Amino acid sequence: MSISLRRARAIFVKDYKEFSRNYAISISLIVPILFAFLFRSAGPSLPGAIGFLFNISLVLLTCLVQACLIAEEKERNTLRTLMMTPATTLDVLIGKSALVFVLSALALAIASYVMGYEPASLWAVVAAVVLSIILYIAVGTICGLFSKTLLEASLSVIPAAMVFTAPPVAPLLFGDYPILKVLDYTPSIQLVQLLELPPGFMTGDILKPLLIISAWTVVFSIISVVLYQRRLKDE
Amino acid sequence: MAVIQVEHVRKRFGNKDALEDVSFSIPKGEIFGFLGPSGSGKTTLIKILTAQLNPTDGQASVLGQPATTMQQSAQKMRFGILTDNSGLYERLTIEENLELFRQLYSLPKSSIDKVLQFVNLSGERKKKVNRLSKGMRQRVMLACAIIHEPELLFLDEPTSALDPVNSAHIYKGLRYLNEKGTTIFLTTHDMAEAESLCDRVAILYQGQIQAIGSPKELKKQHRENVVRVDLTNGEAYELPVTEGTADQIADWMKRGLIDRLATKEPSLGDIFIQMTGSELL
Ligand SMILES: Nc1ncnc2c1ncn2[C@@H]1O[C@H](COP(=O)(O)OP(=O)(O)OP(=O)(O)O)[C@@H](O)[C@H]1O
Ligand SMILES: [Mg+2]
Repeated sequence: MSISLRRARAIFVKDYKEFSRNYAISISLIVPILFAFLFRSAGPSLPGAIGFLFNISLVLLTCLVQACLIAEEKERNTLRTLMMTPATTLDVLIGKSALVFVLSALALAIASYVMGYEPASLWAVVAAVVLSIILYIAVGTICGLFSKTLLEASLSVIPAAMVFTAPPVAPLLFGDYPILKVLDYTPSIQLVQLLELPPGFMTGDILKPLLIISAWTVVFSIISVVLYQRRLKDE
Repeated sequence: MAVIQVEHVRKRFGNKDALEDVSFSIPKGEIFGFLGPSGSGKTTLIKILTAQLNPTDGQASVLGQPATTMQQSAQKMRFGILTDNSGLYERLTIEENLELFRQLYSLPKSSIDKVLQFVNLSGERKKKVNRLSKGMRQRVMLACAIIHEPELLFLDEPTSALDPVNSAHIYKGLRYLNEKGTTIFLTTHDMAEAESLCDRVAILYQGQIQAIGSPKELKKQHRENVVRVDLTNGEAYELPVTEGTADQIADWMKRGLIDRLATKEPSLGDIFIQMTGSELL
């Protein structure tokens, strides 16, 4: 399958214009920054704060906005119109995702700065966050493709939020059952581990979480592309 | 060479055939109209021809390639489509919408001015789409579908829900496009539209093509053999074409009684009702 950067960029520019005029959705940009200010006032050493901030932002900003953008295109029939132009699956998905990617990265960077967060390994955190953003964009794309309306899309993000962000707090709620060890392999817990890496860490401490997050990202990206391609047909 | 070639296409949804056995071909440069009552499978056929659906049986080729390859970018450059589920970006202006399509088709900047003139919206280019009337919206969608001057244009009921003035705008545009070489495949409910616009029409009913030909040919085929005579004294007759009638007419003529003399020709609408047993609209 081919990609044309020109076409992907045209879709990105179009989405940017629409997003900047759509206050109902663009307001989610302030979620991470709002939480950052909230946590900062509670003191910088609040345990789990940075992990919570990143995970909740990935759902409420990255996943939700992507789901809404896709669902709106479906609701208004513009997705079908796009599919009839030379834009390929990857042109459309990359063009649309680029906007949410840039917004998420920007908002998370500002939020980290506001919190005064300093990672033990900057590159590991950057890599994990980049992978996580792509993962949550893919999840949002899937939610959007399954919903017929904007409302459905917003609601469909709730189960995604449960699955992806609840694990880090599950032990606090239910105690330390062995069965909950499974949750250690969720991308949200792995991201928290990287975010809260202690200063004297080993390479292995970085590699394992990165690999686990990558696996999630690859699997969900493939699912989202396959689902989109199925939508090309109208059966 | 035929631009569209359809051979024994069947499409089954569940246990019901939407199309049973449809064959026809459309030569280059034709405006071809597909008529049929609601639910007769017109949209289904367009979807098959643009690879949005696979036929259950039979073959279709479009622009010299199997219809199933119409999803490839190179083929998509060659056709345009406007259906009742086409959409526009509401928060963008007319111009911004067209700019997206210009980029997607890799066209020069001038193509926007050209197509705007074509649909008669040059003055409105800075208006947001959510402020537009239905007719303007339809014209913008048409502009998006033809900005790349396609070889082949699919139109699914392009003027339904438009007033006659807006429809006339669109007809004028379509004729012009056609003169420049675009083959047009359209479906419609509007018999007058089909009659004035199409070189040939097909009537689709119960999954099959019931009649196909130019509106003129169809009318000739279905002409009843009667003449209608209006006399100057206000009397009017419909008479069978026989020797007796000829004598009678000759007599009236000699006496200068004939006001109007005409063969009785059915309209396309009459033929449609006769074939499908249903009224349109
Ligand atoms: N995706 C689908 N799944 C199941 N049945 C379908 C599907 N699409 C169309 N049909 C059925 O196929 C038949 C033909 O539908 P189609 O939309 O092609 O008709 P149409 O001629 O375009 O009608 P209209 O003039 O109302 O637009 C209908 O009975 C419709 O219910
Ligand atoms: Mg239809």
